[in-house]
Amino acid sequence: MNWNFVTDNFLIRLPVSETDGAALFNLLRQQSVSDHIPRLALAVETQATDELRRIAMRFETREAAFWLIEKESTGELIARVGVQHINWMMLNAQLQWEFAPACDQQAIQEFIPAIIDFIFTELRLHRLEVRVRSGHAEQKDILSALGFDAEGTLPSQFEYGGDDIHLDVYSIISQK
Amino acid sequence: MKFTPEISFEGGRVKPLHYDDIDALYELYQHPEIPGQRPLDNKEHLTRMVDYSVQMAATQRGMMWAIEVGGEIQGMVSGFDWQPSHLRIMMRVDGLPSLSDEHRTAALSVCIEFLQSKYHVRNFGYQWIEGQKPSITAAIQALGFQPAAVLRHAWRTGDSTFADVHQYHYVSDKAKPVPKRLGDDDNPGQNLDAGVKH
Repeated sequence: MNWNFVTDNFLIRLPVSETDGAALFNLLRQQSVSDHIPRLALAVETQATDELRRIAMRFETREAAFWLIEKESTGELIARVGVQHINWMMLNAQLQWEFAPACDQQAIQEFIPAIIDFIFTELRLHRLEVRVRSGHAEQKDILSALGFDAEGTLPSQFEYGGDDIHLDVYSIISQK
Repeated sequence: MKFTPEISFEGGRVKPLHYDDIDALYELYQHPEIPGQRPLDNKEHLTRMVDYSVQMAATQRGMMWAIEVGGEIQGMVSGFDWQPSHLRIMMRVDGLPSLSDEHRTAALSVCIEFLQSKYHVRNFGYQWIEGQKPSITAAIQALGFQPAAVLRHAWRTGDSTFADVHQYHYVSDKAKPVPKRLGDDDNPGQNLDAGVKH
């Protein structure tokens, strides 16, 4: 199975641990790209290298797959998208993403549906879920535009910055 | 070492799983109440389950109790997907058709109280799967569980059939535990028999 693919304007590929550290660090060092998860931004490049190693190990066991999304014209990294917590018995998984500020709604509408289609068609999963910090308006708009339905809010899932974090759950179901 | 206590409730008690109970547990597993589950065909699996129940409790990954009513095992309470650092756990009760909702909730309630007081767990989840006995939802809401989300098609019941999962949560309003200095706790493994001389 080929896990790397393209859309009209983007290359969607699995990362390469040895070479993608700097680009991934540049993306994940920005706090705003992971506020919806929520998760702290990376502080040093070594963390990105560690993250790439973890990604490789999680992919080996097919527990997760993370893609880097690059503009075909410039090679600029504009997003990372992952499918994780894959439950091969229940045929469901969670999507998680970090979008660079330069990644607009039009771009998201091009590469996210391609990834969802890959997951439903090639991986044959049935349900994809996204969990985001409750009340995150920007993510709500993105998810709604992508066809995700809101399913509710899971309370007090973890602590972050001294707050109890509630997570809104959205999902999309395969029609295949 | 002992990590899972016996606790009485009105009309019965919960107790740790034991090898002596395997016949009764096998009978319980002939009546799966979750849609899509089949009756267990190999009793040997239950020996492993009893082993796991001890290991899970010792490592704070889960806890399992048998529900005894009138001297007979009529169900099980399970805590799973335990996240000690997030103070949360998922709960589940499996019962024989004869297990009443009153005994189901009473057993669940004493297990929750134990996990709250001993381990400071604050967030208890419960998943009711479409197709289970409808009265369970009212019973757990009477304990304080609130509907949180309906996870569509999150439970697979067949090759290409799925059921919705209704997820409930009870979040305790008790204060969170205050971290101690490392080394201040002389029973970090939470062994209930810590004071017992063997």
